Amino acid sequence: MIPRWAKRLFHQVSIGDQSYRFMFEKGPPDEFVAIDCETTGLDRKKDEIITIAAVKIRGDRILTSERFVRLARPESAMAADAIKVHHLRQADVEAGERLYDVWPEFLHFVGGRPLVGYFLEFDVAMIDRNVLRFIGIELPNPMIEVSELYYERKYGDAPPGTECDLTFRAILKDLGLPTLSQHDAFNDALMTAMMFVALRDLKRRGVRIERKRDGPRVDLAH
Amino acid sequence: MSAVFDASQPPFDRLTEAEIEFLQNAVDVEYFPPGATVAAAGQPCANLHVVLKGAIEERDGDEVVAILGPRDAFDSRAVVQGTMTRSFLAREESLIYQLPRDAVMTLVGKNDRFGAYFYLDISRKLDEIVRADEEARFGTLMRTHVRDLFIHPAHFIDSKDTIEAAGHKMRDINSNALFVRDGARVGVITGMNLSKAVVLKRMSIDEAVAPVTNYDVVTIAPDDFVFSALIAMTKHNKRRLAVKEGERWVGILEDIDVLSFLAGNSQLTAGRIDRASGIADLAVAAADVNEQVRRLRRQGVKADVISEIVSDLNRRLFTRTFEFTAHQDLRERACLVVMGSEGRGEQTLRTDQDNGLILSESVPETMLQEFRDSFTQALESFGFEPCPGGVMVKNPLWSRPLADYVADFRSWIALPQPESHMNVAIFYDAAAVAGRAELLHEAKTALIEMVRGERAYLAHFARAVDAFPSPIGFFRNIITTEGAGDALDLKKGGTFPIVHGVRSLALEHGLHETHTVARIARLVELNVLKAEFGRELTQAFQYLMSMRLDSALSKTPGTSSLTKPAELSSMDRELLRDAFGVVKQFREIIRRHFNLGVF
Repeated sequence: MIPRWAKRLFHQVSIGDQSYRFMFEKGPPDEFVAIDCETTGLDRKKDEIITIAAVKIRGDRILTSERFVRLARPESAMAADAIKVHHLRQADVEAGERLYDVWPEFLHFVGGRPLVGYFLEFDVAMIDRNVLRFIGIELPNPMIEVSELYYERKYGDAPPGTECDLTFRAILKDLGLPTLSQHDAFNDALMTAMMFVALRDLKRRGVRIERKRDGPRVDLAH
Repeated sequence: MSAVFDASQPPFDRLTEAEIEFLQNAVDVEYFPPGATVAAAGQPCANLHVVLKGAIEERDGDEVVAILGPRDAFDSRAVVQGTMTRSFLAREESLIYQLPRDAVMTLVGKNDRFGAYFYLDISRKLDEIVRADEEARFGTLMRTHVRDLFIHPAHFIDSKDTIEAAGHKMRDINSNALFVRDGARVGVITGMNLSKAVVLKRMSIDEAVAPVTNYDVVTIAPDDFVFSALIAMTKHNKRRLAVKEGERWVGILEDIDVLSFLAGNSQLTAGRIDRASGIADLAVAAADVNEQVRRLRRQGVKADVISEIVSDLNRRLFTRTFEFTAHQDLRERACLVVMGSEGRGEQTLRTDQDNGLILSESVPETMLQEFRDSFTQALESFGFEPCPGGVMVKNPLWSRPLADYVADFRSWIALPQPESHMNVAIFYDAAAVAGRAELLHEAKTALIEMVRGERAYLAHFARAVDAFPSPIGFFRNIITTEGAGDALDLKKGGTFPIVHGVRSLALEHGLHETHTVARIARLVELNVLKAEFGRELTQAFQYLMSMRLDSALSKTPGTSSLTKPAELSSMDRELLRDAFGVVKQFREIIRRHFNLGVF
């Protein structure tokens, strides 16, 4: 496996389309992009992206007014399981744009900003497969994993062997965030963005999330 | 499109799908750590904020004036005015929806109901419109159309006409604004525009009105609601709106006419009665009296003040009607009286007629009959229903010489029948409204003299306080037996026992007051009632009267004194229980005082 930094250097030099050089430049200060993809399945080799959503974060402000949400038509038929999870039918997806049209727009939206996500590695892997195919690069952006920020605030000082719950639901509950209807790419990206601003503030103020046998703490509305 | 913002809460629930979509695309979400300033006083207002999560302190200087939680919006006033007047601080970790002021103002301009939330706030009416019962409270405002208000008829001049001509025209039509036609354009010119042109701009009165005409005319349709007119005036800062129906210019609506509609202007009605030049004019004014009651009550004016105003207006109406219908010779020999609740000054909504005429001596029968007919006809044209018991001028028994009345008193007292008790009660409550008031005073003095010391008679008279059972049961439960078994009659169980018990005590002590509240005050002075109890009785009476007025205003005629406790707020139910408790106590006092146990 080639390390990401090495790939990044390689792509910076080998990039086919020079108009995407901005992806390698630093984004505006204190800006981030929270992303989430809904896919036909969990196999990062075979499955396809159905929807992709991204929302910018500037400081503590989540710029929902500048969101990016696209339905993309997968090249392979959707797995029945994915339909159950995302409530998107083949017909809905066919109304979407072709991925080919989506990627340039997506890359321009994201720019050089760090990406924020939950289980981000999977999303990035899915995106990379497409971007590499169309533009000849993989996403060079720094990546911030909210479950890691959460782990650090909650379990960072925990004795070894402590049982960890890093589920999306657990994070929302601990931070006292509203649960928007899940498995909608935009709502997931928005909730991820909320987690990010809240966790970042806790770290800034040196506040830890309390560990209790049962029940949440450091609720946003304590 | 995914929804970021929950638009189901007021005032956003007034927006259309497209408008909500517009807002969804403009909204951001911002995170504030504890102690962070969300918006500071004195700063330009950039956003309308809605709390998504957390708690926000609203501060006036250093003082916390409110704590806002999820779904609370702030600060609608600042959105309209552009500057924050209060500071808002995060009390804990908070997420706030930020709706850009520009976007909100765009919607305010497009959607009147949404705009109403912001504009009416300034006139302190916001709270009411936000509440779930906005229909009930704002019903009249919401349902009344512009065409129901007074609109100055449209009068046109040409833009080439002179300032002088415009001034003369305004005087001729007794209006302060004219439409100005300039080719296809139509503008408005006001008296103030003319004055400013001449005084401040030193224009000659021979110059054309065109340069001082205002072509930025805000129009409204006759079918629009009054609240839209109010909003349009506030929003565009206009004192006048042009009323336009399709392509037709109907007239000009002035702010003073909207305000007098909203405020209820009883002086206006009183003036109309005083200036009336005939029965027809009085009929117009009479029609306004009932509408006044609604307006005053909507403004939160207390029921006893309303009855005072209404009684005054009705008495003026009778006085003038008497002047128009009674022959000079008759007027010099008669006293017109109103009786029953009208006489006590406890009338709110118009009920039926209760009136009579006391003559000092016999008058020619034709003259008297002529008056009876024309007076009755006039009252009917005002919408006064005839009295079912025939207590009216029309009935010869209630329009005759003083001596005949006094002779009847004797038989009423000697033969205590229910009907004669009613006659005594009605007459004892009479008040003079026109003609020679001393005739009534003389009659009442005679009545009082006759019952003085007649314990048995007075006890008989007072017995009616027990005519209806008290609607209070064990454990102070309210018993509902009226209507479909879920209502109670405020008059039978509440106001009637008070009025009649007080009347019995007043008659016994020879009082000349007619108001129940004034009688209670005199009875306290005479040590008949304890001061403490007198106060409680007065409060209970006034509370029951206001409940009656409210149910009369909201319900179908004929059921006006019924109220359904289940529809009341818990505070009103509690007050109602207290009031009935006082009534129960008062009945006990009356029973003991007149020794009613013997019956």
